[in-house]
Amino acid sequence: MTFNGKCNFGKNYNSRSRKANLKRGVGVVTALSLMALSSVAQAGGKLTVAQVRDPGSWDPIDTFTLAWGSVASNLFDGLVYRGPDLKLVPGLATSWEFLDNESRIRFKLREGVQFHNGEPFNAEAVKFTFERLLGDEGAKGPQRSNYTSIEQIKIVDDYTVDFIMKRPDPVLITKLAGYGAMIVPPKYTAKMGEEFNLKPVGTGPFKFTSYTPSVKITFEKFEDHWRGAPKLDELVYRFIPEASTRMAELQSGGVDVIYKVPLGSLSVFDTHDNIELAPVASPTIDSLRLKTTEGALTSDIRVRKALNMAIDRNAIIESLLGGQGKPISSLQGAGSFGYDASLETYEYDPKKAKALLAEAGVKPGTKMTIDYRSADSDFREVALAITSYLRMVGLEVKINPVENSVMSKDVIPNGKTHEMYQFGWGGWTFDFDNTAYLLYHSGERYNPYIKSAKMDALLEKQRLTYDRELREEALQEVARMAHEQALDIPLYNLNTVYGISSRVKNFEPAPDDRLFFLNTSVE
Amino acid sequence: MPIAKFAIQRLLQAVFVVFVVTIFVAFAIRLTGDPAIMLVQESSNVTEADLERIRAAMGLNKPFLVQYKDFILGFFNGDMGTSFFRGPVSNLVAVALPATLALAVASMVVSMLISIPLGIRAALHKGGLSDQIIRIGSLVGLSFPNFWLGLMLMMVFSIKIPIFNSSGYEGPASIVLPAVTIGIILTATNVRLVRTAMLETLGAQYIMVARSKGLRERIVVYKHALRNSAITIVTYMGLQFGNLVGGLVVVEMVFNWPGMGSLALDAIYQRDYPVLQASITLLALMIVAVNFTVDLVYGLLDPRIRVE
Repeated sequence: MTFNGKCNFGKNYNSRSRKANLKRGVGVVTALSLMALSSVAQAGGKLTVAQVRDPGSWDPIDTFTLAWGSVASNLFDGLVYRGPDLKLVPGLATSWEFLDNESRIRFKLREGVQFHNGEPFNAEAVKFTFERLLGDEGAKGPQRSNYTSIEQIKIVDDYTVDFIMKRPDPVLITKLAGYGAMIVPPKYTAKMGEEFNLKPVGTGPFKFTSYTPSVKITFEKFEDHWRGAPKLDELVYRFIPEASTRMAELQSGGVDVIYKVPLGSLSVFDTHDNIELAPVASPTIDSLRLKTTEGALTSDIRVRKALNMAIDRNAIIESLLGGQGKPISSLQGAGSFGYDASLETYEYDPKKAKALLAEAGVKPGTKMTIDYRSADSDFREVALAITSYLRMVGLEVKINPVENSVMSKDVIPNGKTHEMYQFGWGGWTFDFDNTAYLLYHSGERYNPYIKSAKMDALLEKQRLTYDRELREEALQEVARMAHEQALDIPLYNLNTVYGISSRVKNFEPAPDDRLFFLNTSVE
Repeated sequence: MPIAKFAIQRLLQAVFVVFVVTIFVAFAIRLTGDPAIMLVQESSNVTEADLERIRAAMGLNKPFLVQYKDFILGFFNGDMGTSFFRGPVSNLVAVALPATLALAVASMVVSMLISIPLGIRAALHKGGLSDQIIRIGSLVGLSFPNFWLGLMLMMVFSIKIPIFNSSGYEGPASIVLPAVTIGIILTATNVRLVRTAMLETLGAQYIMVARSKGLRERIVVYKHALRNSAITIVTYMGLQFGNLVGGLVVVEMVFNWPGMGSLALDAIYQRDYPVLQASITLLALMIVAVNFTVDLVYGLLDPRIRVE
């Protein structure tokens, strides 16, 4: 076990004698002159990113966190690449085509690509990667289920592979650009077994050098990367869960890029000329979902519409969220496939809301409850603001904290929520399919209340075709139905705000959190 | 013979405590959430069969007592198990435990350096101006929330005057601020402790004897009084050390210090049973060991305790 689990106190503490100091002085001088020399030789330098969480494992089949994605594009490649502009372009595959009535996808592979350990990339590596993902190894992890539409991988020749499909999977090409589909080296991976998690090897622009759990992961540039060597010499990700600590590190120069500047603290950086804030629309949305079953106050469509009209989304975004968000009319942001710009958010109209409530026979002073995830203190403030908007239309609403895991495991799946419950969602694929299927298709884990044969049919239909127009129409139709029925209270799509030191050049934060530092340099 | 019996009795008690703590932790965490769901949260294509497979790989389909037995046998044979999300637990502990111990020791040292001289001074000038100032100062210290103090120190000594690292775990420069933060918080209590202990000994007859022999005040205070108060002070600080090992979590978060407290807390959020069980067991063992040693030392020093 050679990963870097120690830190070097002690060594520096006890050498306090004069001689030692003298020696050290000489050492420092030599080190300085060496550094001066080397800084001429290597103009690249080192960039440090502060990420929130340590994903804990680096194997593509074991992961499920956005934090993993923010690191991994630098380490691994997929057959397809999707950068900050969200366009799908060739990655390790140079082209692909659909054959045999779309039951077979043929990929032409890039030649002359090497893994960090010197293994060659070829059809064998692709076959190995997907057989591992879909086999026993993958069955232990969360990624396999995203790729089960693949029946098998057939090698045509060294640089051509066929994906034989069990069923159509319109999101597959997108999914090949990330996470479970990242290509791993067959020999090395087989040899390392579980330890691959701690010493990952890929084909990406940066090569893994060390990992200290909960502290940091470090990389050096991979000279032989197929797109050409990166400009940086070293790339470091530190894991800093506490937002104020990330901010302090950026201000003191300890890190160069920080992820998730808290929206309430953006103004802190107003006075810092050497720090830039870069907002990008995130894939996730926030909403309150509603209990629509018989007997609940919110089973009445008039009540649901009234709730939608009683909340001033814009004011909440401006006053609580630093203006860093857009109101939404369905449970997706503008970047999502299936988004319909013509679908408008219910306008803020407390008078009309009151009238609708009266019409539905809801008396002033009627009590309702919002369930929210207790650890989410930001949303708690939003929920409190919502309660005061609802008070203005005569409802007595209280908020009820629920522990995260209990909410996901028990309260939502088993339909134990109150009238309104917090729901934040979004997938890196930016395809409404993921959200819509899970939230509107009957019998799905996170859909305890809604049963609509028409929605079911639409959702199933769009999953079985590669026809983008047809899919988009179906997804938009689902969104429209949800909107007309006011099944939810869609709230907003927030920005993720990056804080970036001005010494960083050529870095573009990505909407899907997947940062890529190939062309980035530091001054 | 009696001391051996006493030791065995305390040892059995300690084993019992560890047993209760570990089985309770293992049981309670399983009531609260499903790690398989935590793992697949962001995927919409997961079927119940997928979840079953993941649970089987995690070993969660076995009966609770079997899971507990496997864990305990593994733990005491040197295998701390494998995290659901983060590889072998021993790798995580290999970072967290030294980090925690280093911070706990450094904070205790900071606290002793401040509280012992101040406490003595306060005791010697009981009721005087310096006593009042020290007492008020300690009250102020007690009223600081530790995360706030940590952030203030960070703001001043890392951002405004960049002397120390604001956070992280790299070399001596990064331990100073967290150690001073905790040290100051501890000092607030320790100053009072030292003061009280010193007052007690200073009132004893042998001090009067020492003074009447014409010994210099410095010798009376440091050699006679402080030494005799030391037992109380050291015992209390020993126990404090036990608490520190698991209870630093807030300061760990602020300074991004990768200690045992944060490790256990993360494990709770993620429902990472193996990590939680191993870290809590380890903490329990350490605290029990400290208490056991203190008891034993007491027993050796003061035969009356053995009789009880």
